[in-house]
Amino acid sequence: MLITGIKSRPVYDRLAPFPDALLHLVVGQGSGGSAMSRLLADIPAGAEVEVMYSTESFTGQNHAEALAAAAPGHVQCFASNAALGDALQDRLARAFMGTRLYLAGSESFIGLAMKVARQFDLNADEVLREHCGSLVRRVWCVHCDSYNENITQRVFSCTGCGKPLVVRDHYSRLMGAFMGVQGDAEVPGELPEPSDLDT
Amino acid sequence: MSTDSAVGLIPVIVTDIDDVTPDIRVLRLAPEDGHYLPGFSGGSHITVGIDLDAETHLRNAYSLMSSPYDTSHYEIAVRRVEGGRGGSRFIHSLKPGDRLGVSSPVNLFPIQIHGKLHIFVAGGIGITPLFPQLEELERAGAAFEAHVSCRRPEDASLAHRLAERFGSRVHVCYTSQSGRQDFRAVLARRPLGSHVYVCGPAAMISEVRAEARGLGWSASHVHYEQFVEQKTGKAFDLTLARSGVTLRVPAQVSPLEVLEANGIAIPYLCRGGACGQCETRVLQSDTALEHNDVWLSDEAKACNSNFMPCISRADGGTLIVDL
Repeated sequence: MLITGIKSRPVYDRLAPFPDALLHLVVGQGSGGSAMSRLLADIPAGAEVEVMYSTESFTGQNHAEALAAAAPGHVQCFASNAALGDALQDRLARAFMGTRLYLAGSESFIGLAMKVARQFDLNADEVLREHCGSLVRRVWCVHCDSYNENITQRVFSCTGCGKPLVVRDHYSRLMGAFMGVQGDAEVPGELPEPSDLDT
Repeated sequence: MSTDSAVGLIPVIVTDIDDVTPDIRVLRLAPEDGHYLPGFSGGSHITVGIDLDAETHLRNAYSLMSSPYDTSHYEIAVRRVEGGRGGSRFIHSLKPGDRLGVSSPVNLFPIQIHGKLHIFVAGGIGITPLFPQLEELERAGAAFEAHVSCRRPEDASLAHRLAERFGSRVHVCYTSQSGRQDFRAVLARRPLGSHVYVCGPAAMISEVRAEARGLGWSASHVHYEQFVEQKTGKAFDLTLARSGVTLRVPAQVSPLEVLEANGIAIPYLCRGGACGQCETRVLQSDTALEHNDVWLSDEAKACNSNFMPCISRADGGTLIVDL
C-alpha cells in the first residue's frame, strides 16, 4: 500500500431534512434508494420535493417502485448514472437559492454527483451525502483523464490508456475519485504485488 | 509618530485628500520608501496607527478601497464620528504630506471565487470594500451586482463613483426618500450558487441575514463585515502575569493597542471582537469586565475566564492576564 489510512476519503452523512429548504432535491442511485425512501418519509408534508433516481447498480438493487410510492408524481428515473448526472446539471442550472441537495448511493455515484454540485458552489450546509452499498472505488487516471468504475484491485489496467495503474489511497474531492498512477513508472515492468483493495 | 507605537507598521505618506461628502474623507497613502505596498485582495482592511497624544496610541481598522492591481498606494475612506475616541477626527485633521503607519492588509471579507453570482449590499461607509471587490470580479469576468443605500443624494458621491466605474450593475437607494431597501426583493429567486456580501450598519446586516435565512439561503452563502466602533471606558491597570509587567490602559485606548504600543505583539485579525484571534486568559480581576465582543459565549463572558483585548476592557481597577 502506498499510503496507510485514507484521510482524504470523504466522511459521509446520514440523510436528514434540512429545515430551511425551499426545495428538497433527493438524488440517488441503486442501493441509495433505501436512504432516499427513509429521507422522503422524514421530509415534512407539503414541502417541495423532487426525486431523481438512477437504476444503474453494481449490486443489483432497484428501489424505483418504493420511491414512486413515496413521492408520487415527483420521481424521475434514469437508466445510467451518467444520464442522471447530466439531468442533475440541467436541474441545478434552473434552481434557485434555497435548494438543498441530498445524495445517496455508491461512492462512485456520489463523486460524480458532487462534481456537478460543486459547479454550483454547493457547500456542506446545502448537500448531504449518504453512502450505500459496496465500497468499490472510482479511480481517475492521472495520465489519460479517464474514470474507471467499480475498482476492487490495487493494481489494474486503465480502461482509457491501458497503463497498469496503482490505486492510491488518495481521494480527490475535485475529481470525485481516487487517484490512479502508473505502477511501473520508476522501473518498467516492476509492479506492486496484486492485492484486494480494503475498500 | 513615536517609534514605539509604530511597531510592525509600514510608514506611509498622505499624498492626497478628497472630502467626498460632508463627513467622509478619502485618503491616498503612498509608501515612504517610494516602492510598493503589500498586495491585497478585495475586502481587505488595514489598521492605521493614530497617536492622539503621548500616551494615547490607537489603531483603527479601515477597508481598502483602491485597486488590488495597483499597490503603489492605498486608498481608505474615513467617516468622521463625533464623540467616540477621536481616531476619525484625527484623520480628518490630516493634511497632504503628513506621515502615518499602517499594518499589512488582512482579509476577513473575501470574495468566494466559486460563486455564480455575487450580490453586494452596502450601507453608508460600508461601500468602501466594494471598490476592490468589484474590480476583482470585473477582471475575472464574474457576474455581480451592488445594492448601495445612502441617506440623501449629497451622501452618495462614493456610490456615484462606484456606478461610474461599474455602470448599471450598481443600484443606489436613497433611504431618506424611499425608506429602507427591500432586501427580500434583492435576495428572492436568485440562481443557485449566488453569494451575498453585506457591509454596513449592524441593523442592515441583521436584516439581510434574516431575509436570507427566510428565503432558504444557507449560511455559507451569506457574508458580512462590520467594523465596531471602539467603546471608551475607564482607565485600568493591565498586569501581564508571565512577564510581571503592569501597563496603564487609558480610557480611550483598547488593551490590545496598549500592548502594541509597548512592543508586545499578540495575534489579532479583526480588532472588532469577532474573529477570536486575540482571546486572552484572565487570571484575576478586581472589577467587572466589559465584554464588548461577539466571539465569547455568554457563559464564558459570565465567568470572566477569558476576554478579547481588542475590544473589551476592565471597568477600572487591575486586570491580571496570562500573557
